[in-house]
Amino acid sequence: MADAALEGLRVVEIGDFISAAYATKLLADLGADVVKVEPPEGDSTRRHGPFPGDEPHPERSGLFLFLNTNKRSVTIDRAREEGRALLRDLCARADLVVQNLPPAELQRLGLDYDALAASNPQLVMVSITVFGYDTPYRDWKGTALIATAASGLQHRIGDPGRPPLWLPYCAADFQGGVHGAIAAMMALRARRLSGEGQHAWLSIVEVIGTVMAGSGLGAYVFQGQLRSRSGFHNPGFYPWQVVPVRDGFFEVITMVDEQWARFVRLMGDPPWREDERLQNRWLSFQWSEELDAYWHPWMRERTKAELSALFREHRIAFQPVHTINEVVNSEHLRGRGFWAEVEHPVMGRTPIPGAPYRLSETPWAIRRPPPLLGQHTAEVIAEFGRGADEVAALREAGVIG
Amino acid sequence: MSGGVLPMEGLRVLDHGHVWAGPLLAEMFADMGADVIRVQAPGRFSGISMAGRGSLAAGPAAPDDPRAYQGWDRGKRSVSLDLAHPDGKRLYLALVAKSDVIVENFAPRVLPGLGLGYEVLREANPRIVLASLSAAGATPGPWRELLTYGPSLAALYGVKSVQGYAGEAQPREDTADLDPTAAAHAFVAVCAVLEYRERTGRGQHIDIAQGEATIQRIAEPVMDYLLNGRVAGPQGNRYPGVAPHGVYPAVGEDRWIAIVARDEREWGALIEVAGEAGGRLREARFATLAGRLAAQDALDEAIGAWTERRDAGALTAALQAAGVPAYPVMDPPALLADPNYGVLRECHVRVETAHGIGRDQIYQGIPWKLTKTPGVIRLPVAATGEHNAEVYGELLGLDAAELERLRAAGVI
Repeated sequence: MADAALEGLRVVEIGDFISAAYATKLLADLGADVVKVEPPEGDSTRRHGPFPGDEPHPERSGLFLFLNTNKRSVTIDRAREEGRALLRDLCARADLVVQNLPPAELQRLGLDYDALAASNPQLVMVSITVFGYDTPYRDWKGTALIATAASGLQHRIGDPGRPPLWLPYCAADFQGGVHGAIAAMMALRARRLSGEGQHAWLSIVEVIGTVMAGSGLGAYVFQGQLRSRSGFHNPGFYPWQVVPVRDGFFEVITMVDEQWARFVRLMGDPPWREDERLQNRWLSFQWSEELDAYWHPWMRERTKAELSALFREHRIAFQPVHTINEVVNSEHLRGRGFWAEVEHPVMGRTPIPGAPYRLSETPWAIRRPPPLLGQHTAEVIAEFGRGADEVAALREAGVIG
Repeated sequence: MSGGVLPMEGLRVLDHGHVWAGPLLAEMFADMGADVIRVQAPGRFSGISMAGRGSLAAGPAAPDDPRAYQGWDRGKRSVSLDLAHPDGKRLYLALVAKSDVIVENFAPRVLPGLGLGYEVLREANPRIVLASLSAAGATPGPWRELLTYGPSLAALYGVKSVQGYAGEAQPREDTADLDPTAAAHAFVAVCAVLEYRERTGRGQHIDIAQGEATIQRIAEPVMDYLLNGRVAGPQGNRYPGVAPHGVYPAVGEDRWIAIVARDEREWGALIEVAGEAGGRLREARFATLAGRLAAQDALDEAIGAWTERRDAGALTAALQAAGVPAYPVMDPPALLADPNYGVLRECHVRVETAHGIGRDQIYQGIPWKLTKTPGVIRLPVAATGEHNAEVYGELLGLDAAELERLRAAGVI
């Protein structure tokens, strides 16, 4: 077996919560050496659950465990000048720094790109923030909810007249993370061509508004379409909706006329199939209430399992809305070996979601469990030439954990 | 800019993408300087997405004009090729030999079924990186050959089950983020393999189950089930352990403001901004996070009673000035007038009447701001086969007579 794909890549993660941590998790799981810098009290995900039995414990956060596989943890007090000097030393020998601090704070700490590049011109720095760097709001406070609202996406999810909905569980931060990893890979490849490092930044608002197509601007600017919320329907075409069935819900969506015809045949070719309003399914949404009434009762009489079997047999793309337990226990994901496991000194053997992709020669792998708070502080600091005495003195002074 | 060299300069990508995930992945390489060649069956609609078709129904362009919508195919060249024809296969393998990356989002059976599985492609070029984006992965399993779209796949992988209002089981439809999520993860994997190739000279096959890339973003409720056996349902705009965390009414038709207070400092600043008008927010039960979490319905109601008589923009400015995360919920007209939208606007690039369809095109922007090597949109969306002569001529050395013979035989 070959070495890992990103073997030898030295990464430093500075920041808090999800976005930077998810970016570096993707790299660490492919073999990069990621040093996660935490403040003495630990990353805030250590105080955020889910915890087993809902008992908070800094080494038992499910979110922290998931986000920090294959990393090392050092604790450094950024509030102290000695701490900031250590951080600069750490960045001076890194290939890549991934961070999500507010721009003004980064500058105040002397960790902005220009400062770090002065001693390490090959450094690539990736900054992931909600608003980005070229906006009057660069130092505004943002979270995943704020980013979703600001991007235009939120306006389109939920019921008319009721509050617009975000993508739950901080999905926007995860998107910021994966796009941060993308920016890192792009800038590292540019460095291979030019020999130069650079600062690469992104705005989570913009990621959601553009690549994720969340802004709705294309349809508005081009076609003058202003789509607000339409509940369990998507107005793109008909049907595209979440339908109640006997024991839960089903996602019903198809663009293909022949598939829709097969679905209608399954119901015994009822006369309503001739309804004029169904003949151009790009326009049918405006009558969805009446049209839904034709076939929703048929769906409601049947279970997810019955419908899944029928639709698979008849090559129809509708799928059940699985609940979290149904996904975790699915034969498919178990059979594919999707669930991974970490051997954690405090948690013991703990299952976590596994690989987002499979590489044929250098597989995604758990090489190290998620780190304990400051577990690798002495080891990492010793790697850049500080002697044992100095490490002990820094620890004594409370600069490191 | 360092001598104009873009990060993906020198790479050639063959793109079999259809609908959204595949084309978007290849487009990311095109934006960053790669030579991306769309390979499509002769005579087929260019594969622009469902969004394109849907919008075309209302748009002014001819409905069969494959170039009429901002698809995910800008910056690419296009060739037509019948992969089932023996001559088509031969040409294809010649292209593979001169390429670095192949992007495909067929069902797993399709390429091997054409006699073009990874082993065959690797034979033609040991350095090739094959990125296969299928719904549920290439290994055997009950979902392997499922027919799905992004939204139904998101349902199958549990993502839909937590999208809705708190206390109501019925999930709400979202805006379909599965395809771009899968494409983004795939990009990271392809780049990692390109790094590996620099060291070893060998490519790899990457099997991307789009559902498995997307399920990562609900790791938190998944971990809660794995650790505690608890099954999360829809949560509205709430987030565990944070209160307030919500969207509240503002003055005007369908106007809303998102507000979050993550700690006691932000909460204290929020009630300062509210002042007298936010009287109920000073109730003792809201003074601690535990209290706010325990009385979240009452808390949200009290905040809503305060915000509903205020302008979302002015209130956002006041809250942000006090260090409280807040923003209006933006719709397209609001985005176009938003000072922050400068970020978005600059990258919704207008390519002047580029397509011969008599009007400007607007493309989704390039969000990765590489300060020295920013991306560029170099070509409008091409019609199928538009670059046949150029690609087959210059790259494979086919002459005009040979091209004509292939065209007559229906190979291109």
